[in-house]
Amino acid sequence: MYRANEISGRRPNVQSHVCSHSRCSLLQFLAMVIAWAFFTATGLLAQQAKPSEYQVKAAYLYNFGRFVKWPAGAAAGKGDSFPVCVLGRDPFGPILDATLAGEALEGKPVVIRRIARPQDAADCRILFVSSTEENRLKEILAAIDQAGVLTVSDIPGFSRRGGMIQFVVEGDRIRFEINLASTESARLVLSSELLKVAAAVRRNARAGD
Amino acid sequence: MFKAQNHSISRKLTWMNMLVSGAALLLACAAFIAFDMITFRQAMLRNLSTQAQIIGSNSVSALLFNDPQSAENTLLALKAAPNILSAQVYQPDGQPFASYSRDRDRHSPVLPAMPSGQTETHWIEDDQIALVRSIVLDGKPIGAVYIRSDLQELHTRLQRYALIAAIVLSACLLAALLISSIFRRAVAEPIVDLSKIAKVVSQDKNYSVRATPIRSPSELAILIDAFNEMLAQIQQSERALRMAHDELEQRVRERTAELEAAKKEVEEFSHSILLAKEEVERGSKFKDQFLSTMSHELRTPLNAVLGFSDLLADERYGPLNERQQRYVSHIHTGGKHLLSLISDILDLSKIEAGRMELGIESLRMETVFGEVLSAMQPLADKKSQEMTRSVEAGLAVRADSTRFKQVLMNLLGNAIKFTPSGGRIEVAARSVEGKVRVEVRDNGPGIPPEEQQRIFEAFYRLRESGKKTEGTGLGLAITHRLVELHGGKLSLESQVGQGSCFYFCLPVAEGVREPPSRRTESSSLSAAPARILVIEDDPATAQLIQSQLTSAGYEVLVCGEPQNALEMAARFQPGAITLDIVMKPKNGWEVLSQLKRDKRTAQIPLIVVSIVDQPSMGMLLGADEYLVKPVDKSTLLGAIRLHVSIRPATAPGRPILVVEDDAATREFIAEMLSAQGYAVATAADGAEARAQVAASLPELVILDLVLPEVSGFELLREWRASPRTADLAVFILTSMDLTQEEQSYLRTHAESLFRKQEPWQEALLKHLERVVPLGTAEKV
Repeated sequence: MYRANEISGRRPNVQSHVCSHSRCSLLQFLAMVIAWAFFTATGLLAQQAKPSEYQVKAAYLYNFGRFVKWPAGAAAGKGDSFPVCVLGRDPFGPILDATLAGEALEGKPVVIRRIARPQDAADCRILFVSSTEENRLKEILAAIDQAGVLTVSDIPGFSRRGGMIQFVVEGDRIRFEINLASTESARLVLSSELLKVAAAVRRNARAGD
Repeated sequence: MFKAQNHSISRKLTWMNMLVSGAALLLACAAFIAFDMITFRQAMLRNLSTQAQIIGSNSVSALLFNDPQSAENTLLALKAAPNILSAQVYQPDGQPFASYSRDRDRHSPVLPAMPSGQTETHWIEDDQIALVRSIVLDGKPIGAVYIRSDLQELHTRLQRYALIAAIVLSACLLAALLISSIFRRAVAEPIVDLSKIAKVVSQDKNYSVRATPIRSPSELAILIDAFNEMLAQIQQSERALRMAHDELEQRVRERTAELEAAKKEVEEFSHSILLAKEEVERGSKFKDQFLSTMSHELRTPLNAVLGFSDLLADERYGPLNERQQRYVSHIHTGGKHLLSLISDILDLSKIEAGRMELGIESLRMETVFGEVLSAMQPLADKKSQEMTRSVEAGLAVRADSTRFKQVLMNLLGNAIKFTPSGGRIEVAARSVEGKVRVEVRDNGPGIPPEEQQRIFEAFYRLRESGKKTEGTGLGLAITHRLVELHGGKLSLESQVGQGSCFYFCLPVAEGVREPPSRRTESSSLSAAPARILVIEDDPATAQLIQSQLTSAGYEVLVCGEPQNALEMAARFQPGAITLDIVMKPKNGWEVLSQLKRDKRTAQIPLIVVSIVDQPSMGMLLGADEYLVKPVDKSTLLGAIRLHVSIRPATAPGRPILVVEDDAATREFIAEMLSAQGYAVATAADGAEARAQVAASLPELVILDLVLPEVSGFELLREWRASPRTADLAVFILTSMDLTQEEQSYLRTHAESLFRKQEPWQEALLKHLERVVPLGTAEKV
């Protein structure tokens, strides 16, 4: 709320450039009302913007789906929904459900599945691999190879080890690395926009193998 | 002046051209620039919007994945657009996310408000355009782009345009200047030329100048041509005018000269006319003199011939044998014929010469007929002809007494002459259509139609009757002319064997009685005592009249009471009555009509003597004379003498004085009077007569007018002027042709007038008898 006030308090300063006469007081008032309305609306959204790590990561999961194109013949595309799966112990908790509730990707409603077995991930579109699964990572990746599933994880070295997108933390910011070789082999097309904001983009197939 | 005009019109043209082209160009440039500026600004905005959009869409992932560096990298692309001052990407909560500034100004303005429902807004401030565009993903705003651009490009463009416009404008004005100079040559100069010519024409009236024609077919050319043509026409007409003027002047000069010549001619002519007139006047004077002289000189010897032959025929101086008698008769007849011939010729000459004077007066027809018929009766009697007359009672005619009678006598004489013995002659007068128609009719042989035309010509005689009738052949010609002189026309109706009728019409005279002066006939011929009744109620006036009359030898009775006047007049039977009009209790008019109605007194001559000046009234009531008071003695006596036989109280034995210069006539008159028993004295000229009258007053004077040295007129005037001789009775016997004036003078100053032209002897003796009754005058 204070931000809204802060903005409201500074608005006349801006407006005074446009209108330095008293007759513009009505306009100024209107402008204040409009500004208040705008920033009240965005301010509500912004309450979650001082988010926790997994809040950001949940949002990123959803946002990745916006910059990726899945191949038409992928198995995952057969269903009526857009399944987002969490493999292993769920670090998100209810945050993920809250974040993705009511959202849709590729024209299909997003559904969250928590799975334990790698073979269950074949019909997922986005698969978050929990850090608990670091040991079975090779198995997991192999299970969904060619299945057209976007794999995301915060396991260190995930992108180097054949994963597609790996969250990294730089200071207070959460960023991600992309392994293009993995995505290309899974026939996923990543938007250059995504690549542009990635902290690193790898092109080797199995670096570190 | 011309220079200024020139300047003015060409400058005007130039200005016009430049203004028009400049204004058009300015407008066009302004419109174009305005349009371009608007378009350009829109393009700028669009550009800006596009840039914002690109930045927005390129910043989506940066915003989504919280990567400001990526967004700033995107913003750095704006370096390529130098007009972009700064650009910012904001997070949805309004926090600046990424920023770019051209001038390394890291200041990030606060995100301005975005109108609800819009994704983009822009405004212009501080010569900058600002644009905000929200970044929307899947219908949700995920941030905003704020871009500011300066208008430098716009300004630059505007400056460039202004420069271009200025250049184009200058070029155009220059072109307009050039074109207007061409126009000036084509339009202004001919007009200036034309105005110059017009000035010359209007100031110097010089129509020979011409405006320079221009070749191009335009209104101006037409104007100039028309002007030139007009000038030509004016010049032509002016030349014609001048020529006409010169010609006119020339003609006027000629005409003036002609007029002067004519004037001179006329003057000469009028001078000659004057001379001729004088000559004619002299001639006519001579003619008059000749006529009167001839009349006198011819008649005088003839009178002697006639008179003495008459005396011889009377056998007073011894008996004549039959042959002698016959010869004397021949002499007498011949003389008479000659006399009438002479009279006629002289009359005719006078008429022809326009010298015949007429004294027109009112004549009573009854009286005139009476006189004329009594004169002609003896002739008719000789041929046993019956002569009758018929006349309307009271009819009077306007005519000259003497000449009118002459006309009647001539006609009657002819009738008697040409009508056989025992024939009938009729004279008539009646009123026809306001005129008096006089007819003389006979039952003689008549006049054949072929001769009727010529009968009024002079010296014409009826062929048949020529040998046996005497006459001058002038009678009808004179008569004819005399009637013409009176304003009538003598006409003839005749059938052979049936008789003839001569007739003419003369103006009628209304209600006027014949002047009493000629009423010789009406006077009583009796030798009644000359007693005068004076009817006058004023004693003083009565006394005066009485004394005047008594002094002249009359016996006077005064009647002071008008009511008794009739009785007195009837009783005393006076020779004349004088009557006053203003009387009481009975006025003079009543007395007058009473007297004239009464048979006993009707014949007594009545003389009105009154202060009332109404002679016509008096005449109408029957008065014989009308005198208006005051009346002098001689007038009164003259009037009375005219109407009353005088019985002068003079001593008997006073002779009658005959004043006549012609010895034969004198002797004849003396013989004639002596034969009647009068005492006669003679005088051969005026001086002698004057002396004789001065010596002893004669009974009466018979006076010829034409006398050597002292004329009859002079004598008469002398006598009338002297009281002693004022009442002396004078008979005038003359052969002189008298003027009207002379006649009227004689009528009032002499007792009687006899003309030798007419048969006078008998009339004179008759008159003499009345005035000097035999027995009072001493007989020889």
